[in-house]
Amino acid sequence: MTDVSIKVTDLTLRFPVYGVDAKSLKKNLARVTVGGRLGSSQTGATEVTALSHLNLNLRAGDRLGLIGHNGSGKTTLLRALSGAYEPDEGQIEVRGRIAALLDLSLGIDPSATGVDNIRLRGRIAGMSSKEIEDKMDEIAEFSGLGPFLAMPMKTYSAGMQARLAFAVATAVEADVLLMDEWISVGDADFQKLAHRRLLNLVERAGILVLSSHDAGLLRLYCNKVMRLESGVASEVKDIRRLDELLAAA
Amino acid sequence: METSQHMLRTGRRGTLFEFSMALRDLVTSYHRRGLAWSLAWHDVVSRYRGSILGPFWITISMGLMVLGIGLLYAKLFGISVAEFMPYVAMGIVFFGLMSGTINEGCDTFVQASSMLSQTSLPMFTFIWRTVLRNLINLAHHAVIIIAVIVVFGLWRVMDVLPAIGGLLLTVVNLAWISMLVAIASARFRDIPQFVMSVMQFAIFMTPVFWKPDAFPDRHAFLTLNPFYHMLTTIRAPLLGQEADGLSYVVLAIMAVLGWALTFSVFAITRRRIVHFL
Repeated sequence: MTDVSIKVTDLTLRFPVYGVDAKSLKKNLARVTVGGRLGSSQTGATEVTALSHLNLNLRAGDRLGLIGHNGSGKTTLLRALSGAYEPDEGQIEVRGRIAALLDLSLGIDPSATGVDNIRLRGRIAGMSSKEIEDKMDEIAEFSGLGPFLAMPMKTYSAGMQARLAFAVATAVEADVLLMDEWISVGDADFQKLAHRRLLNLVERAGILVLSSHDAGLLRLYCNKVMRLESGVASEVKDIRRLDELLAAA
Repeated sequence: METSQHMLRTGRRGTLFEFSMALRDLVTSYHRRGLAWSLAWHDVVSRYRGSILGPFWITISMGLMVLGIGLLYAKLFGISVAEFMPYVAMGIVFFGLMSGTINEGCDTFVQASSMLSQTSLPMFTFIWRTVLRNLINLAHHAVIIIAVIVVFGLWRVMDVLPAIGGLLLTVVNLAWISMLVAIASARFRDIPQFVMSVMQFAIFMTPVFWKPDAFPDRHAFLTLNPFYHMLTTIRAPLLGQEADGLSYVVLAIMAVLGWALTFSVFAITRRRIVHFL
């Protein structure tokens, strides 16, 4: 894969907010019976524009940091890039195998053992059973969990969960890595390991998109940065101009 | 074709486009059928983790019900146990498949919400997960069927092939019903309760525990009940009888119309399902 790329053109994403009431059938049926009079306030669902006319072009070797207040659309953008949210307008095109590390608990069954969870998560991430078995030793070693892998996940701390999730997610031969802030969960040892692994990924001509509030973390991993504000994106700037973007707040 | 190497997501481009995207979801779920199987298997394993008998507990409870109802009703209705017990056994086991697939269909998307909101996994994968999970359960309960076949010597008269045909037709129909209630339940939280009531009603209206001998052939009471057709096409051949040809026709028509409806609903709501959750 040499042509790893992310191309987002004029992306607009709206969330319909179905009020708690609107989820009940009664309300909807009631609306039908009185439909004629209510007229235009029919649709019921309010829409929140989470991302608006966003453009983004990333190529191999780009490590983009996303900054912005809570609710500015960082996670929404990551989820859209992972393919979970469909654009309302515009287009997202991603070339390369995607690995999204957005939620530590994705596909985790707390009562299953670490090994079982590696299998399950690996399957969700798109690995075949054979690939997983082949990589099991490597994943186990990288996670550093040793004998704990035979224990149920519910006995794990958040940091241990992070280790396992990170080990599995990066075991996939991913070209595009999407990450939410949680990388900062693990201890110093883990941070060092994770750091090496991430740099390794980028060296393999991959793309990293990392959302974080931590300027230090962004400087460590990213070479570009973009600021989101109420779903509107700034230009993509060089990481050295991070302070400018932060100051614009 | 969408591969793991290339992902394209766009805004709405008309109805035809939405249908082709829905079809792509279906095709991708086929390519990743191993995942649906892994998820279904994991569901069964994890539900009964730490339990020695696992899913066989349900089998045991079904077996007890079969014994109780088989003996009691045979006496009440004045039918021989040898005739009634296998009838009830198959009725309960196969109706269990129907109500399980449909009731659990309500949870399909709700349960998968975290996965749906951060991965590009095909939605059909989760439908197959529910269907496969119920087929795995059926495989456990098949012990009961095998027991009555052996004990009452049905292997001498039964006709396996048409029963398998009936089972296939039934599963194809259950799958679309399961998907339709999955979409509806994601949007309207009243649907699961409604579906549960309907299935409870259906178990009494369908000849699971009783024999339809009192009705003339093709009485509307039976022919209008889709579960009757599903059950009779599986059960009758196993009991050495012939199911009414009409039932096969009804099931085939239902499968085509039902899938057309469900697929259309899916094509239209597909983008929104993740936001419903």
